[in-house]
Amino acid sequence: MNTALLIAPLAISGLSAALAALISLTDKIVNNYGECIISVNGGKKELTVQGGSSMLATLAEQQIFIPSACGGRGSCGECKVKCTTDVGPHVPTEMPWMTPSDLKNNVHLSCQFKVKGDVGIEIPEYLFYVKRYKATVERITDLTHDIKEVYFKLPDGVSTNYKAGQYAQIEVPPYGKIKEPTQRAYSLSSTPNDPNHVEFMIRLVPGGIVTTYVHEHLKEGQKLDVIVPFGEFHVRDTSATMVCVAGGSGMAPFKSIFTTMVEDGSIDKRDVWYFFGARSVRDLFYVEWLSELDEKHERFHFIPALSEPEESDNWQGETGLITEVLDKYLVSDNLKDAEKEGYLCGSPGMLDACMAVMRKHDMEDERIYFDKFA
Amino acid sequence: MKMSPEFIRAQRNMQPGEITADGFLGDDSRSLIDIIAADEAAMSDLDLAFDDCASQLEDLMEAGRRGLGEPVTIDATWRVKTDEARGVLPSPFEDGVFRKVNATIELVGDASATLRITALSLHLMKRYHFLQGLGAAFRIEPRMLKRVLKR
Amino acid sequence: MNAPDIGLFSLFFASIFTSNILLANFLGMCSFIAISKDLKSSNGLGLAVTVVLTVTGAANWLILHYILIPYDLIYLRFIIFILVIAAMVQILEMVIDRVSQKLYITLGIFLPLITVNCAILGVSLFIEIREYNFVQTVIYSLGSGLGWWLAIVALAAIRNKTEKTKTVPAGLQGSGLTMITIGLMALAFIGFSGMLSVQ
Repeated sequence: MNTALLIAPLAISGLSAALAALISLTDKIVNNYGECIISVNGGKKELTVQGGSSMLATLAEQQIFIPSACGGRGSCGECKVKCTTDVGPHVPTEMPWMTPSDLKNNVHLSCQFKVKGDVGIEIPEYLFYVKRYKATVERITDLTHDIKEVYFKLPDGVSTNYKAGQYAQIEVPPYGKIKEPTQRAYSLSSTPNDPNHVEFMIRLVPGGIVTTYVHEHLKEGQKLDVIVPFGEFHVRDTSATMVCVAGGSGMAPFKSIFTTMVEDGSIDKRDVWYFFGARSVRDLFYVEWLSELDEKHERFHFIPALSEPEESDNWQGETGLITEVLDKYLVSDNLKDAEKEGYLCGSPGMLDACMAVMRKHDMEDERIYFDKFA
Repeated sequence: MKMSPEFIRAQRNMQPGEITADGFLGDDSRSLIDIIAADEAAMSDLDLAFDDCASQLEDLMEAGRRGLGEPVTIDATWRVKTDEARGVLPSPFEDGVFRKVNATIELVGDASATLRITALSLHLMKRYHFLQGLGAAFRIEPRMLKRVLKR
Repeated sequence: MNAPDIGLFSLFFASIFTSNILLANFLGMCSFIAISKDLKSSNGLGLAVTVVLTVTGAANWLILHYILIPYDLIYLRFIIFILVIAAMVQILEMVIDRVSQKLYITLGIFLPLITVNCAILGVSLFIEIREYNFVQTVIYSLGSGLGWWLAIVALAAIRNKTEKTKTVPAGLQGSGLTMITIGLMALAFIGFSGMLSVQ
């Protein structure tokens, strides 16, 4: 009787152990993909990695951070990479995030396929330099009733390397009903010449998870994760006239760009037209700084436009939608025949509308730059 | 009523803090499928078709986007104001991503007749007949829909 | 141990046709109905079930005769059979993932669900009740698997045809008509039953 009591658990645990051993043995044999070579951007970078893990995790191990808000669970759809070799069909978990052109171009969520052999992928080159920091909030300033400027200090001794105009991802911790850390992208408004700090302008989006946190919970002295830098929005090194258009918190990359241009003197070397659209005076900010630039630097022109100035505003400047003002200036003598580059930052609707106006005036699509954060 | 795994997952994604801070269900304690069934009944009582209404709302929103955030008056009947943020939101049913664009549509001369819609809420309305829970920020109330669209 | 006196050949055919595990014993209905919508996945699942059945049938026989019976642990058979089945399915899943990504995706959730497919546990328990010897066990498991495979592919083919006809009343569409079809198929298979027997 006593032995029976002993044998039963022994038999079960012994069998389970044997089966578990069998499973892990199979796992070792079947899932051993050995060393694989990931060829990035047609061989520009070759990574020798241990196969078997997801592309996202494998790349993270190699210090390449594909943007991802969910951390590889397939629920944010941000970690898309274009594959140049066959990595198998699209799996159901990634289908919700695939556009028809993604399907055609063999774009996959990097968290949803494993590295099983030598593969080729294409990723934007700036991802090679992306780093993650714990940054401390040094200062929060109200720019308007719904835009805050947040100035972060990076850990001591760290210096970032980004181009004015690029953006970063900010991750906020779980709060209230939000149970998971959430990441969102914001343009950097600081200058790369101050490499130990980063700064953002964040407009409150009703119902937005990160913007609500920043506006209602974030305190000076707090630490947040900042992943920097992303994006291909930066000043092209030409002598063409820069036609810059922004609205609201779209000011951010231009603050960065103009500050940098003042610092390196390039602001006096090419023509810059900066159109900034807002509704009324209470939505305007940095006007004094920009007007001062306009006065000091002959080739810099600041054109604020209000679409609905209030009587009390006593507005003397341009009125109307930013597209109407842009339309008017693009045919003016100053801009009509100049070689032009477009720089845009704002809501997707504003981008589309400004693109249409610029196209109408024969500006080439390839020379109009913007980050849609798509 | 018993719900399919797809709906159970969707209802979970609709909770506050999953996709949006406030969620899609407001303070409605009914299950997703009951909300849809109740609204389908309400819509047919009012003689409204989901597809027709959704495509009219879509047209109004598209027309409103031309205002770049400023109110646009359409056919001297509707005043539409859109607001956009950068980035996209996934559908709670995991069948696509949508721009963060919302529109407030009101009848000219009757500011009490107002609807708030988003690119995502129109998708949910068209594809799933889901008008969101009572008390949700972007709930489309069938009676209000009839008033605003003048049907 | 006294194994039933039955020819291997007739056992093989009996397990496929006359005692078809699906249509005579009605085991493994869940995935049978769910997957038979599509011919290709039915084929893949049929193959997977056949492999799991044969392997677990043999493994469970060995465990039954070399561990459970000698140590008087027969009462543990349910839990141990299920353990073995679960482990085999895990292994099969890894192998399929490696060999054919496409099949892996088509089978999706139904691959792990083979674990709780009653046909698999059923076969292991039949083996015990009918006191098959090892060779008979392998033949019977393989036959049952092939029978399951045959049945699901046949049903998928029939459903393919019936779904194209527009004359099916709304209330019968989908699983309603499928159940009737399965009933008719079962009748047809039972027609063989006088010819051969599994025990």
